[in-house]
Amino acid sequence: MFAFFSSPTTQTVLSALNEGFVRTLELFFITLVGAVPLGLLIALGSMNRWAPLHRFARPKQSKALRAVLNFRPVSAICRLLVWIIRGTPLVLQIITLFYVPGLEHLFNWPSGESGRMMAVCIAFIINYACYFSEIYRGGIQGVPVGQQEAGLVLGMTRSQIFFKVTLLQMIKRIVPPMSNEVITLVKDTSLARVIALQEIIWMGESFMKGNRGISGLVWPLFFTAVYYLVFSGVVTLLLGRLEKKLEFFR
Amino acid sequence: MAILEVRALEKHFGPTRVLEDISFSLEEGQALAIIGSSGSGKTTLLRCLNFLETPNHGSISVRGQVLFDAADPATQRESEVRRKRLHFGLVFQNFNLFPQYTALENVTLARKLLAKERDEANSGKKDLLAAIDQEGKELLERMGLADRAGHYPHQLSGGQQQRVAIARALALHPDILCFDEPTSALDPELTGEVLKVIRGLADQHTTMIIVTHEMAFARDVADQAIFMDGGVIVEQGPAKELINAPKMERTRQFLSRYTEN
Amino acid sequence: MMKKLLALTMAVLMVLSLAACGNQNDAQPTDAAVQTDAAPTDGTEAPAESDLAYVQGKGTLVVGITDFAPMDYQDDNGEWIGFDADMAKAFAEDLGVDVSFQEINWDNKVMELNSKNVDCLWNGMTLTDEVTSSMACSTPYSTNAQVLVVPADKAADFEGLTTLEGLSIAVESGSAGQAAAEALGATTVPVQSQANTLMEVSAGTSDAAVIDLLMAGAMIGEGTSYANLTYTMNLNTMQGEADEVYGVGFRTGSDLVDAYNNFWDAALASGLAMETATTYGVQESIIQ
Repeated sequence: MFAFFSSPTTQTVLSALNEGFVRTLELFFITLVGAVPLGLLIALGSMNRWAPLHRFARPKQSKALRAVLNFRPVSAICRLLVWIIRGTPLVLQIITLFYVPGLEHLFNWPSGESGRMMAVCIAFIINYACYFSEIYRGGIQGVPVGQQEAGLVLGMTRSQIFFKVTLLQMIKRIVPPMSNEVITLVKDTSLARVIALQEIIWMGESFMKGNRGISGLVWPLFFTAVYYLVFSGVVTLLLGRLEKKLEFFR
Repeated sequence: MAILEVRALEKHFGPTRVLEDISFSLEEGQALAIIGSSGSGKTTLLRCLNFLETPNHGSISVRGQVLFDAADPATQRESEVRRKRLHFGLVFQNFNLFPQYTALENVTLARKLLAKERDEANSGKKDLLAAIDQEGKELLERMGLADRAGHYPHQLSGGQQQRVAIARALALHPDILCFDEPTSALDPELTGEVLKVIRGLADQHTTMIIVTHEMAFARDVADQAIFMDGGVIVEQGPAKELINAPKMERTRQFLSRYTEN
Repeated sequence: MMKKLLALTMAVLMVLSLAACGNQNDAQPTDAAVQTDAAPTDGTEAPAESDLAYVQGKGTLVVGITDFAPMDYQDDNGEWIGFDADMAKAFAEDLGVDVSFQEINWDNKVMELNSKNVDCLWNGMTLTDEVTSSMACSTPYSTNAQVLVVPADKAADFEGLTTLEGLSIAVESGSAGQAAAEALGATTVPVQSQANTLMEVSAGTSDAAVIDLLMAGAMIGEGTSYANLTYTMNLNTMQGEADEVYGVGFRTGSDLVDAYNNFWDAALASGLAMETATTYGVQESIIQ
């Protein structure tokens, strides 16, 4: 056992896997940092009630006309985005975002690994923000209206109510479903290899074919599971702790 | 001069008229009871007073100042509505305490937010916040909850929660304190403690509007009473007269249901 | 009000992320016009723009590769070496630009090329009909064959076969091996890479696999996870066809093809090509 881990081949493989895992972690954290707030924007956007033509709506108008007059553009755009992103595979979104700009002569991603990482991060952030936004929406709408009214009656502003009253209750509601998504994200990062981002699965697979002078090795691929298990274990633990922390109120 | 003046208030939700031609006034230091069956518009009236609903017609004035006039859009600006709300306090049927704050924090939260806004550059801020805390504790003590200041709402009984809610409303020193069926969500054995607190407020001449189904309580505590049915005021007058000897047939019918039980 | 603002910010953010990078390639068309005489009269068509000038303008030749010893692989310092890698370095020097190697997902090679994420594919690429029809290819520089990989203990069963009918053969999806196996009547199991085909055979989920001869040498036998595998037959010979050839792929219509062909002729003449081939043990396969 010790001989196995101290062999130069194993050392090379592990250092490559570590390198891949760092990229996996990078992608994971950048996605979270971007998608958590962007998801909130999309959630608020899809609940936005702004209807510029609403003032012309009258009860006696035809149904079709009233639908046009009550149209909510911000909400509609956000919901359309969520529908498109949730309705198509993430793999397709990554490929589209990375290749279409070049194919259509719109722009070129920076050359090398950084361009691929950038494209993948944007694809992941948008994708996860859309999933998060639906969770947020459920969380916000799940907070009783009475909470908001109580805040209003006490002379609080809408933003004070959101940040001081609604937000924490919403967070408490969304932590369990968010935990599911975050664990899924840990594993979804492996999809980035479709555009050759050298995350840990790519690295694991590379030794079957040949990498750093080593080829025909299968075990590195299966060994990546250890990384995923440890990482998702840590994430589960942390989220569990957060959930516990929020147990002080009901 | 009356502290509150409501004139020809009207509210519809789509084609349904929930309030129609509601006019009444209230003297400072008096308690007004509003009675009537469910769906008669009592709660909507309170919500209109607290700017949670916008009336379609009519006006609301406090101390001679017009707070709301459906005919004058200048009185409906969102930015001012917030300040105007502070003339009124509202105690909800189901408390609506903020679950993530302790009883004391519930009472002081809004005051502290207001203080922070107004005295951004004030060096005496710390003292001010301490004063708010002190007042909050005193309020809870008046509610008989001195030992519950650090409890979270879910650790309190319904009656205790409602008393915290009353303290929370009082903390902002409203001109008029409104109660929306304050005991309806409580188990019968808990209503007494809440009614006792409200009675105490009446004894100190707090100006109040109380929507309630507790007829005996309304008769004993309120100075004035209004009976509403189908969105209109059927009868109004001194509480004792109205409840003991109603003039209108509809009022009598409504009250008979309570005396029979 | 706040909600409206937030919604707007979000929309802007997404557009911005796309637009931000859009400026970068504005400069290049101007360079192209200066450095080449590429169709000055009818310069309206996009393909008429010189690819050579584009690469020289940005100063780097991005070479799309996979790790494929002995053509492209990394040495102990992580530098890309191999017959193809060394020739690519020499070619870039010839053009007066830097070289950068980009590992790609071979399934997406045409998209990588056309979206300009790489400038050429230089990785022991067999010139199949699919390849030659989807990009501009150089003259062939090396030969290759497809071989059948089988479990060593069953090698005898496969000897002397003239058809692969009734066998399930693992192949790399879209590879020359797939075409060859299908031509010989096999039921193919297309998987993601040549490496994965070996796992299929090893796990017993396929009867055999078809991969490149050059690769088979590196990936199976002693010291690998596939010591139990061996390769037997040359499928090209079996079909009575000539061996396959390797070439370099460029964007359709690219003038880099000519530049490369001139470079290769010169490298053969100067002895650089054979010298490099000898270093990596592929001198037998080089087409002179």
